[in-house]
Amino acid sequence: MKTIVNGFEYFSPKTLEEALKMLSQYDSEEKEFKVIAGGQSLNLMMKQGILMPECLVSIKGLSELDYLNYDAKEGLKIGALTTHRAIETSDEIQKNFKVLVEMEHNVSSTETRNYGTLAGNFCHGDPGGDPAPVLVALNAIIKMASVKGERTVPAEEFTLDYYETVLGHDELLTEIQIPVIPPNTGVYYTKYSQILGDFALASAAVSITLDDKKEKCTDVRIVLGSVGSTAMRAKKAEEILKGKKITDELLVQAGQAASEESDPTDSVEASEEYKRELVGVLVKRVGKEALERAKKA
Amino acid sequence: MKQILQFTVNGEPRELLIDPKKFLVEVLREDLGLTGTHWACDTGACCCCTVIMDGKAVKSCSILAMQANGREVTTIEGLADGPNLHPIQQAFIDNWALQCGFCSSGQIMAAKALLDENPSPTREDIQLQMDGHLCRCTGFNMIQEAILDAAERLKGQK
Amino acid sequence: MKREYSIIGKPTGNVDGAAKTTGEAKYCFDMSLPNQLYGKHLRSPYAHARILSIDTSEAEKLQGVKAIITGKDVPGGKWGLWRRFRELCDQIALADDKVRFIGEPVACVAATTKDIAEQAIELINVEYEPLPGVFDPLEAIKDDAPLVHDDFENNINATRHIEWGNVDEGFAQADYTREDKFTCFPQAVASMEVHNSLASYDKGSKRLTVWSSTQSPYYLQLGLADALKMREGDIRVIKPHVGGGFGGKNSTMPDSTSAALLSMKTGRPVKIVFNREEEFISTEHRTGMHVALKIGLKKDGKIVARECKVITDGGAYTGLGATALYLSGIFQTFPYKIPNYRYDAFRTYTNKVWATSVRGFGATPTVYCAESQLDRAAKDLGIDPLQIRKMNVMEPGYEAPGQYKVDSCGIMPCIEKMEKRIKEKWPKVEENEGIGFSAFAYMSGGIFNWIDTPYAYSGARVQVNIDGTVDLFTQASDIGQGHNTVSVMICAEELGIGMEDIRLHPADTATTPVDLGAWGSRETLMNGNAIKMAAGQIKQKLVDLARAKLGENIAYDLVAKDKRIYLELRPERGFSYYDIVRDAIKLNDGEPLIGTGHYTPHNKGMISPAYGMGIMAIKAKVDKEIGHIEPQGVLIVHDCGQEINPLGARGQVEGSVHMGLGYCLCEDMPNDNGMLLNPSMNDYKIVRQRDMPQIELMDVPTYEAEGPFGAKEAAEATIAPTAPALANAVFAATGAEFDSNVLKPEKVLKAIRAAEAKKAQKK
Repeated sequence: MKTIVNGFEYFSPKTLEEALKMLSQYDSEEKEFKVIAGGQSLNLMMKQGILMPECLVSIKGLSELDYLNYDAKEGLKIGALTTHRAIETSDEIQKNFKVLVEMEHNVSSTETRNYGTLAGNFCHGDPGGDPAPVLVALNAIIKMASVKGERTVPAEEFTLDYYETVLGHDELLTEIQIPVIPPNTGVYYTKYSQILGDFALASAAVSITLDDKKEKCTDVRIVLGSVGSTAMRAKKAEEILKGKKITDELLVQAGQAASEESDPTDSVEASEEYKRELVGVLVKRVGKEALERAKKA
Repeated sequence: MKQILQFTVNGEPRELLIDPKKFLVEVLREDLGLTGTHWACDTGACCCCTVIMDGKAVKSCSILAMQANGREVTTIEGLADGPNLHPIQQAFIDNWALQCGFCSSGQIMAAKALLDENPSPTREDIQLQMDGHLCRCTGFNMIQEAILDAAERLKGQK
Repeated sequence: MKREYSIIGKPTGNVDGAAKTTGEAKYCFDMSLPNQLYGKHLRSPYAHARILSIDTSEAEKLQGVKAIITGKDVPGGKWGLWRRFRELCDQIALADDKVRFIGEPVACVAATTKDIAEQAIELINVEYEPLPGVFDPLEAIKDDAPLVHDDFENNINATRHIEWGNVDEGFAQADYTREDKFTCFPQAVASMEVHNSLASYDKGSKRLTVWSSTQSPYYLQLGLADALKMREGDIRVIKPHVGGGFGGKNSTMPDSTSAALLSMKTGRPVKIVFNREEEFISTEHRTGMHVALKIGLKKDGKIVARECKVITDGGAYTGLGATALYLSGIFQTFPYKIPNYRYDAFRTYTNKVWATSVRGFGATPTVYCAESQLDRAAKDLGIDPLQIRKMNVMEPGYEAPGQYKVDSCGIMPCIEKMEKRIKEKWPKVEENEGIGFSAFAYMSGGIFNWIDTPYAYSGARVQVNIDGTVDLFTQASDIGQGHNTVSVMICAEELGIGMEDIRLHPADTATTPVDLGAWGSRETLMNGNAIKMAAGQIKQKLVDLARAKLGENIAYDLVAKDKRIYLELRPERGFSYYDIVRDAIKLNDGEPLIGTGHYTPHNKGMISPAYGMGIMAIKAKVDKEIGHIEPQGVLIVHDCGQEINPLGARGQVEGSVHMGLGYCLCEDMPNDNGMLLNPSMNDYKIVRQRDMPQIELMDVPTYEAEGPFGAKEAAEATIAPTAPALANAVFAATGAEFDSNVLKPEKVLKAIRAAEAKKAQKK
């Protein structure tokens, strides 16, 4: 069976401070290093020889980053080392951010979710990853730290390209912040793959906010996954719904717009045309469910 | 350069000098001779290599052995109570939940973690939680039945 | 006559269950020997190329490298499973003059660690002269196509013609004919345990021992003998537990040959384990084929003629592909009476890894085509799918001239039971739902002896010890299908003892009588007969002794049951089995109490001694916007003769349906000029449990006189109807017709639209 051929040194700093210092030092020494949390994607890339680091900095032991804090005003704060499974099984999240639980059910396997972290998955920058569309739809904020200090960016701006993010080489993603879902808002996410739990051919997350009479749409975010180099907002599709009373007909139009905005590529599983068409159907269906949720919210 | 790995395997403390590039599955099978944990896909896609680490089912092919430092690992060899089979093992046999048996170790360890967490799962709970496990022989239904049966047996024991 | 059995027919847990659930079961994958070396192959990056030179000097310098072999180091010639036809023995241990597919091994290194072996193959320098390749059988047969093997014109590896009745007259009588063309894509085997072998050469005796993940130790022994130019008897093959075979582990593969050669060269044990990518790109798979099918029927639905033309994508070598070619012509006719039939087929060489036997081989692709076509014809004729099948199915004693004869045959009662059950289970279907059917039948082992051996097809030996415990020796191969359990059940039933009295010694060529291994559902009937015969010899001795001791008239029957031997009509008169065994050994001067058994079919036609059969229904829902097919439930009525172990049989049915759903829905092996595009378990899609429907299995018991206790094939048959039943369900729901398997959503969507356009056109 395949193993990692090239050796590396393995470090596991005990505190965040120590970890950041280590990153800063290796960065200045121009060492080939990688940060590993759950490593569910990284380990595979090392096995395939895509990545061959000289040393590995394991942050999995930083218990100070393993937390889930919910506050009715501040929203949800997810520490970088919180596993997918912790999110999936949290009652608080089920109650307040059900869409995250639904998303997690279809992320790979329980075994992956038990060890892999949400933040690690997001940092991996895979356009087929599940968290990105949902985090963008939920308006999440990403907090990062280095020895130089902390900074934040909106989730939407975090991923730049295939497997490329704004995270500096000496930086760690430390926390994902998800604001409280506004009143009269419904959020839903679905991906489609022929086999459940598999990587998506296309996915869509939609957040719809209605006015107090629950008639017109005051705010909407439509985010597509797996159909571009990063998770992407379908802004033209959003424009179609914004300010209007959302009807089935309008959702079909939004789906068509999203379909045009999307930028999928041919793969072994399906052609670009099919994926575009799929985007249209998903946006329509996910939008409809988000609308129902907004009405009940 | 080799590094020291200290962890507990099936209740026994272990200290080994290992190459940090080794995966947990390699150390279990090659350094400790625990060959009951199998390994089938190379890409983290089959869950054949599942063991329990600190109470959670994890893929030993996707975790570096060094990541198990200071942790408690249970493998299939640690499940039976001396000469007596664990009720999950017996339920797998009685329900024909295994054929070639190559993926069974992983299935059983995942089932153990599942039942520890949720003693009365529904079939849907099992399907959701065991979904990562590939099996080329059984078609899964009889495995689900074995786990439902094991849940009953475990309740009967208490 | 109603037959009462103590063990046969009772749901029985797996005899290997405790070992397999505790991690104690040793697969070859788990084995190692002291002082062992690790072997690793260098593989061809070209689909077709001449090898100009191989330079191993740099690799040899690497510390820890102990030996490197190339094609020049192989002492023997070519080999193959079709040993009766030497020209079809085309496999080689390591590519010699040229490579024929991407992933073909060209060299193998033995080193002290896996890492060194990996590093060493990178240092081997091979100079290739790339040649144009052929990747589709329709291209391969063209006159200007490059030749994969120089001696095979137009790349034709094997041909088959089957004919009975008068096809032209048959079609002339038909009220309705239709022609359909299909492409059936290959399917990977994807056993959970990859191919791997451990070889150890004994320098003193010059003998070789090989442990391997094989499904036929005897075939491996023969293959190694040919490749290594050794006597069969000097090679001992041991099959430990095997993590799945499904037909893909019949051939002798480079894991075995290279490990053996390297062990002979270094004098140390050598282990070779393929990784998953190697498993995908270099081991055998189900045959892909182009199929043209014509059927002629009377207005009432009676089939009067069928004609079929097949061209299969064989890949670089023969394997069991030539057998698949023959069976593809046979099993598509089952379980129907087709009065006039003609089949013309050929197998082509292409520059891809080769195709062979895979679960339901010879049935799965062509049954998909035939059963899909039958439903289209039924719809056109306005006949119910079950009714058209009832019109045409075989009855006991049916014979296809010169080919096969069917004795036990419960297909009609199976369909009748299905008709009844389906009304209760699925009284109506909702919009976008449909129910599809497919009938099926399959062999209980093949009556072909291409391997060219004078040995019986199956053998067994039973040795009874002084305390009544039994050692059962047979080379039959349990690869997960549960034959070890069946073996012990049959032996225990025949001797009238408990399963706990029997210790099974399976699949070691040095200690067990030859058996041709696990393929074509042969073990239950063929090996079961051998075991029953061996145990029967002992039983006869014990019964004779008991009769003598009782002083009974020879007309009185004695039975061996419940660990006693007694008068059938006066059960109180008899002896304990254990006492009789002790007496039997003592009275014969301590002569070991040994029975031997064997089985070779006679007067059973060309195909098989008996056939399992039945009918399957699948209910499915189709998402017409996305093209997703959701199988909602499966209903099966199966005639497998007397079930030996109903629990094991159900397990096999479940597994067959699972693999059949994969064949229908998602398992695909796309290639780009011979390069497989999805060689991983992530990219090769296998149905997972949330997509797996529940299966209801019903039994129509018959008694197969040729089988042990009336048993015959069980459950391999059920893979073939899965894909057509599902495709027919989609056809019923949407009118969509498919000209291939692998119904990925995009294809489904296109087919639904084509059907809708056709419908609109008609209006």
